Amino acid sequence: MFTQAHPLKTLSAAMLVAGGAIAAAPAMADDFYEGKTIEIVVPFGEGGATYVAAKFLEPFLEKHLPGNPRVDVQTRPGGGSILGANWFEQNAEPDGETILFTTSSTSNPYVLGMDAVEYDLAAMRPAYSLPFGAVIYVSPRTGIDSPAGLKEPDMPLIYGGIAAAASDLPTLLAFELLDLDIQTVLGFDGRGPARLSFERGETNIDFQFTPAYMSQVVDMVEAGTAVPIMTGGSVGEDGILSARDTAFPDYPSVYEVYEELYGEAPSGVEWDAFQSIGAVTFNYGLTAYLPEGTPDEILEIFEATIAAINEDPEYQQQSQDAVGGYSLLPASEVTESLSEALQPSDEVREHLRTLLSEEYDVDL
Amino acid sequence: MLENITTALAILFEPMRLLALFAGMLAGMVFGMLPGLGGVAAVSILLPFIYLMDSYSGLAMLLGAISVIYTADTITSVLLGAPGSPASAPTAIEGHALAKQGKASLALGVGFLASMIGGLFGALILSVAIPIAGPLVLALGTPELFMFALVGLCFAASMVGKDIVVGLAAACFGILLGVVGAAPAAANYRFIFGQSYLMDGLSLPIVALGLFAVAELIGMVAAGGGIAGKPMTMGKWGESFREFWRSRWLIVRSSIIGIFGGFVPAVGASASTWIAYGHAMSSTKDKRRFGKGEIRGVAGAEGANNATVISDLVPTMLFSVPGGPAAAIFLGALFSFGFYPGPRMVSETPDLMYMIVWSVALASVMGAALCFAVTPYLARLTRINFALIAAPLLLIMVAGAYQGTQTFGDILALLVLGVIGWLMKNAGWPRAPVLVGFVLATPMEQYFWLTTQIHGFTWLTRPGVLIIASLIVVPMLLGLVRKWRARQTTAPADSTDPESHTTSDDEAPRDTAVLLLASSLLLVTFAYAFYEMLGFRSNARLMPALGIVPGLALSVYILGRQLHRLRRQGRIIHLGSRQELPVLAGILAYGVAMWLVGFSLATPLLLAWLLLRCARMRLASAALYGAIVYATAQGMFALMRLTPPSGIWFSLPMPW
Repeated sequence: MFTQAHPLKTLSAAMLVAGGAIAAAPAMADDFYEGKTIEIVVPFGEGGATYVAAKFLEPFLEKHLPGNPRVDVQTRPGGGSILGANWFEQNAEPDGETILFTTSSTSNPYVLGMDAVEYDLAAMRPAYSLPFGAVIYVSPRTGIDSPAGLKEPDMPLIYGGIAAAASDLPTLLAFELLDLDIQTVLGFDGRGPARLSFERGETNIDFQFTPAYMSQVVDMVEAGTAVPIMTGGSVGEDGILSARDTAFPDYPSVYEVYEELYGEAPSGVEWDAFQSIGAVTFNYGLTAYLPEGTPDEILEIFEATIAAINEDPEYQQQSQDAVGGYSLLPASEVTESLSEALQPSDEVREHLRTLLSEEYDVDL
Repeated sequence: MLENITTALAILFEPMRLLALFAGMLAGMVFGMLPGLGGVAAVSILLPFIYLMDSYSGLAMLLGAISVIYTADTITSVLLGAPGSPASAPTAIEGHALAKQGKASLALGVGFLASMIGGLFGALILSVAIPIAGPLVLALGTPELFMFALVGLCFAASMVGKDIVVGLAAACFGILLGVVGAAPAAANYRFIFGQSYLMDGLSLPIVALGLFAVAELIGMVAAGGGIAGKPMTMGKWGESFREFWRSRWLIVRSSIIGIFGGFVPAVGASASTWIAYGHAMSSTKDKRRFGKGEIRGVAGAEGANNATVISDLVPTMLFSVPGGPAAAIFLGALFSFGFYPGPRMVSETPDLMYMIVWSVALASVMGAALCFAVTPYLARLTRINFALIAAPLLLIMVAGAYQGTQTFGDILALLVLGVIGWLMKNAGWPRAPVLVGFVLATPMEQYFWLTTQIHGFTWLTRPGVLIIASLIVVPMLLGLVRKWRARQTTAPADSTDPESHTTSDDEAPRDTAVLLLASSLLLVTFAYAFYEMLGFRSNARLMPALGIVPGLALSVYILGRQLHRLRRQGRIIHLGSRQELPVLAGILAYGVAMWLVGFSLATPLLLAWLLLRCARMRLASAALYGAIVYATAQGMFALMRLTPPSGIWFSLPMPW
């Protein structure tokens, strides 16, 4: 039932692209970026996953943007990405020459309404997104070999994470939604060290984002030391985080697992919270934001450019290894759903804040 | 395998790749030598360039830089007394003391050779151990990582200086600095005063620069003249080769300690250097020269730190878990070139693996040779008026600090820590334990909570934990036994010690005012921290408490002892400290000026003051030299792709 979602999405995107191309004055778009430099601000350090993805996309943007601009990836780390995003809010002009490329580390504090946040992410204009899927897997020692087994493991489940308000949030919300009995150990300094702990047998349930899953966990699955259970899922045509992750069509999404366990589609504030945070973390995992007030012409240029990159055989071939083979999502597929995810209802926000401060002792 | 080794050598010996390796090495040398700009700066500046090359060349370039950083920073550590990283702190202590005695060439020569051996051992381990190192790395669970950090801290605090109370207080202060920012176990922010700048905590280069380099710089500008009191006699490398040969087994053992340190992500580098230093101390019969210029301390530390930075690559390439920040950037580069670190990469691309080994080995040897070649020229710098060198040095430090987050917070943190470093230096307090406490506080806290959450208290009986704990306990017992034996055969040999007449700067009486100010500030800081700590959640409170509670007690004792001495001995005025005050004020004024009118306008003022007032240059030559320094500083910012700090009142528009 989910296999149809993808072609439909592409079709509707293509129609939007065509619409955009007609609307934009071609003469202006042709050389819009000629002789210009686009600065892509990555609010994390060099060598991190976001930096690597930005560098991976750099040559494709240079090749396909009209006028072939120079694309320059700049890092502005600090404050768990908040400093870089604050800098962008205060300094970036809406001329399409400065882009903020970031992850849920920037959006979660925004959604939660933390004090340090000076940026208005929902007012910015997303230019494109690169999905950043994740797979949740368990140790075979737990005796779990299917999602149903999560409810009755042979041994207590123990999960290692970084911090509740960081990239662990959607996973913790999924555990909450599925009502699983899992001991959470927070304080690892990255997903890599958390995975090492899983390999040592200290924890027995873990998740990894697609690139790390491909390079590290696939081998463990083949060797029989890890059992994949589910993915975070991707946003389907209905705008809900219900579809399967396109990189892992064999594994069910959290949505499906809930249906399997409880015999009905998930709903209520717990689902809304997971959907809001999960969509931003997985489906719109890496999103390029243009400043508030960026004119439509520039967004149309990106719309066409993203479509061209997705068509580029070189991209299709290289993205398989580098970013898990995801296609880029153009603004037309991102804007509405991302905006909803960034501005959840007060009820959801309150639920998140209460959960974080009461269950995970987060000081908001 | 032999075939792969030779293919890899052939891959590396393409002219372009050798050139890339060499270019990386040169960058590593330069950044290693510049205070505060260590491996991370070198690697992140090179990073954009590697994308212009093929994968092997790009990686060779990064490896060239990584392999020579700890060789080259020996130069700064010895000549300036400012360690490039916590792992070079022992070198800065012993080597700088030797340099002040006019024995810089000895310290440098042994340091380079020990670094080279460490690098070669690291390369050897990479080539033979990678296929089998996996289980070893996995055997080190969170409890072992915690113990390793604890051992490193104990070694650092107990080994510096004679005044153990002050040493411990300094380590406690380091822990306090280290816990600023987000708590790992409870998502509490600590001591951030509402500043988002502090949310990630203080950055290591800024702490190292502030505590050491700023204070040394102030002292040397104020003293006038060169770095060494007497002209250094360079060129006598023969003595350093002889000393190297005498300490060869110590260097080998230290390298092995360093290699094990590299297997331990996050805590390895600084902990293993201090363990090697401790080993050097316990394996030396006459311990009196430690802290005052003991060459074996340099040999041990340098052998260990270079081995660590290279064996760091083992967890990086096997598990894609980087051991240090430079390795993290290297990991990102591997990903970018389509190599996905993991056991599969190791077995499927042996050429890459051996290319890495060869690059490291080659760069280690060439780097040491290059260091020997440039040192005589650098040593000449130590004789010219320091105010001349201080100008570019200070600008480099500002640039190095500013690349942290590119906000004014970086500059402010540098200056505040600089004042703290200056106070500690003039109070005669050791600064190395602060640095080590700072570095190890986070991993200690992290692994302690992970350990207790995962294992309860059964972890205390794990064999790994017991083995590592024995590293603390055994030397302590041996020391007690030795002391007991020494008491049995007491010989008043100390009075006839030929070295005892060299009352070095470290033992000179300190200015009472500085001591009182430093002790009171320490007490106030700990008292305030204690008060704020009471509001933390329990999970966020334990580690700060481990630093603050003893720190508070120790600082009360230190202040009390100070007041007591004041009453007994009367006031002591140490002219040296007072003379430094105008320079300290000048540098603080530079900070204020930068805040108000920006880097581009404040810097000419600083240069005018340093060159005309402090160095007493003539106007024409000062203008020429100042212009060159200014242009270089701006070029440096451009190279690092940073916009210099702009002022809140006014900012000089730049043509680029």
